[in-house]
Amino acid sequence: MTSPSAPSAPRAAVPVGIVLLVLLPLILMPLSAIFIFAFRGGADDFLRVLTSRDAQFALRFSLLIAFATAAINAVFGTYTAYVLSRYRFRGKQPLGIVVNLPVAIPTVVVGTSLLLLWGPIGLLGRLLAPLGIQPMFAPAGVLLAHLFVTFPYMLGAVKPVLDEIEGTYEEAAYTIGASRWQAFRWVILPALKGGLFSGALLTFAHSLGEFGATVLVSGNLRLRTQTAPLYIFAQFEAGNVAAANAVAAVLATLSFVIFFFLLRYTERRGR
Amino acid sequence: MSIELENVTKRYAGQATVDGVTLEVQKGELFVLLGASGSGKSTILRLIAGLIAPDDGVIRLEGKDLTPVPAQERGVGFVFQNYSIFRHMTVGENIEFGLRIRGVKRSARAERRDELLDLVGLGGLGGRYENQMSGGQLQRVALARALAYRPNVLLLDEPFGALDVKIRAQLRQSLKDIQRSLGVTTILVTHDQEEAFELGMRIGVMDRGRLLEVGTPSDLYARPRSLYAAQFLGGGTVLVGQCTRDQVRLGTLTLPIPADVPHEEGDRVRVLIRPEQVSLEGAEPAPQAASLGRGEILENNFSGAVRRLRVRVPPLPGVRQLVPAPAFGEEGVTLEASMPAHLAEPPRQPWVVLESWHILRQPTPRLLVCDEGEGIAPALELARPLVASLDAVATVLGVTSDARRIDAMRAALAERAAAAGLETPSVRVRRGDLVTEIVSEQREGPYDFVVIGAGEVESRRGRREPPRFGEILAGRIRTPLLLARGRPRRIERILICTAVGEPGKSDIRAGGWLARRLGAAVTLLHVVRPGQTPLPMVPLHLERGVATLRELGVSGTHCMRAAESPVEGILGLLRETPHDLVVVGASAGGERITRQVLRQAGCSVLVVPHGSW
Repeated sequence: MTSPSAPSAPRAAVPVGIVLLVLLPLILMPLSAIFIFAFRGGADDFLRVLTSRDAQFALRFSLLIAFATAAINAVFGTYTAYVLSRYRFRGKQPLGIVVNLPVAIPTVVVGTSLLLLWGPIGLLGRLLAPLGIQPMFAPAGVLLAHLFVTFPYMLGAVKPVLDEIEGTYEEAAYTIGASRWQAFRWVILPALKGGLFSGALLTFAHSLGEFGATVLVSGNLRLRTQTAPLYIFAQFEAGNVAAANAVAAVLATLSFVIFFFLLRYTERRGR
Repeated sequence: MSIELENVTKRYAGQATVDGVTLEVQKGELFVLLGASGSGKSTILRLIAGLIAPDDGVIRLEGKDLTPVPAQERGVGFVFQNYSIFRHMTVGENIEFGLRIRGVKRSARAERRDELLDLVGLGGLGGRYENQMSGGQLQRVALARALAYRPNVLLLDEPFGALDVKIRAQLRQSLKDIQRSLGVTTILVTHDQEEAFELGMRIGVMDRGRLLEVGTPSDLYARPRSLYAAQFLGGGTVLVGQCTRDQVRLGTLTLPIPADVPHEEGDRVRVLIRPEQVSLEGAEPAPQAASLGRGEILENNFSGAVRRLRVRVPPLPGVRQLVPAPAFGEEGVTLEASMPAHLAEPPRQPWVVLESWHILRQPTPRLLVCDEGEGIAPALELARPLVASLDAVATVLGVTSDARRIDAMRAALAERAAAAGLETPSVRVRRGDLVTEIVSEQREGPYDFVVIGAGEVESRRGRREPPRFGEILAGRIRTPLLLARGRPRRIERILICTAVGEPGKSDIRAGGWLARRLGAAVTLLHVVRPGQTPLPMVPLHLERGVATLRELGVSGTHCMRAAESPVEGILGLLRETPHDLVVVGASAGGERITRQVLRQAGCSVLVVPHGSW
């Protein structure tokens, strides 16, 4: 006798169809549009646009900033996660909220706030200006904005892993003779490998696509502070759709590759 | 390497987790620290390992002070309760880790690793990871890892805690063998009595941060000094009888008190009877046998090699049962008994005979002295003569609601105690509400008296507040509460009020005990309304009360007064004949009487909760 609560395997065709119907106009079609438009002028045209000086600079600059952001936040994020996870101190909870704040704040607000701090008339910028230091509208400003915006991703990837490692893990290393650094290097860090990897990839991807804060702090200066997303935006505004699409296609492909690795990795760990 | 701890104290949030522990573990010894969870035993291991620093005291390794030596350089092998095997390293790499840190060459490391894997019986499993091994195997990996760099001292924190019973027994034996063969000084922490007996060359029993006693397993079992150790190791029955002429009376039975157990006439003496020392017999025993009479079997449980029984004998006059705690309203004395299971079952109503027994040492009287940390200190002043004449130990307790004031409070209490002439009291600071914390502290600690100041209290906001002893009494305090009032002087005359009805037994016992130790005289008072004739049994009760005091070696008189209320009667007597201490029962009217006596007569009051003495 078959019980009514255990029906035979449901037919997948209908629900899958509905999901696809929703996804198609929402995600899949816009993405394919990029590639279709990018190659409308043929491969030669695509390559020509892509190898232009401005497009080359924008892509390289974006990748450089993304690498730097991922590397710097890997260090700061891990350290912050370590402090938040291992020490007990007053104001720990508010600090935990503050470091996660960047996800919640609109990126445009981040850009504005950076300008108000480091800009030529900003609180600190005013003091630096006489020394000839001007972080805004310069690569340093872009890096600052990206570090700010992506900070929580590293933390979010590393802290849960750290929280899971018992305190006695490090203490075991100490009694065995390891110094604080050795315990971190040989015992904690290897355990964090997965979190570090996925955190760095996430940071990299977000930095690559960052727009709102970058557009304000960079001044969108071509061949100086123009990142790939800014380039796309500028070319669109100038009516140069082919150039915009070519770079957009490269960005989309890069993101695909990154997320492919990320998914593969998390799946493998999940098993 | 021998390890010495001298007066080591570790506090967390004002609470001593390890409280003045002094201990010496000999070279090559396997020492077991035994105690319930939260007794501070694991904290001692962490202190020795250098993972935390003591607040007080010194730890020495082979005579060398370890204080300035960091954990990394102490050369201590530590096996954690959860083993903490490094997950991303193989078992072999785990074991080699300590050697790699020390820069030992790869070949030497591999050799030592294989040697250790063989030693713990895991030969050939060095390539496995943590998640490929069972709990018992992980414990052995942890042991091998801790031994790899030939530590001076091996510390094991509940190493068998996470394992099932069968594996435990195996691993215990192998640990013992390994420890013997290497001769490494070892301290093992456990809450398991059986484990302690089987492994320990010596055992230290811990309770609430204090090391109560240290001894060989057989010594601790046969001759425990403290009630706690007696209960924790082996259990059995503890009865309290009264001491007369170097003997303790248990009903019609008198048992001799050994000369090395200090005792005084009238003392309450605790007699420990282990289950196997109780013999249940079918025939009436010979007259010289230590028989408690005919009992009744309440429980009879077969548990393999032994049969465990509970037997109840009729009430023994003047005997109080401590362990097993008597059920409410239960008459008679319940004894735990055991016998080999292959013997014939005893009859349902056997004769109960004690084959042997052990007399526990008299506990040092303990006073809990509550102090405000500022202003006048009546409790401290009153505690000084008490400590001196009772030969008591005082614990000074301060309570603050402010976590930041804990250290300042402790310093202030120590200073004030010294100023009041209390020598080396232990100082405790609790955080929270005054009344709640005093009640919990007396409930947790083995205190005989709680002393608090009972004058009006200058609050920190400058207001004068009445003392809150009423709330303390309402908090179901189980210890007599001594309310200190006025300038302290010698306590020479004690007034015990039997104001309403029959004299409370607890009041007379507690008051009489104090009077005996202080060399004071006692007046028993009964108050009747004017024109009313007292109930016929009152004179008899008063006579009995005086007789009880006489038995305690205290001179007592009794008197009856006519007055409108008990309070007036007490105050009237105090006006005619001053007394230094008034003892009242903590009955319904007790609090009102206490308040009035404190306010109007200005003398200290001892409030004795019913059944506390």
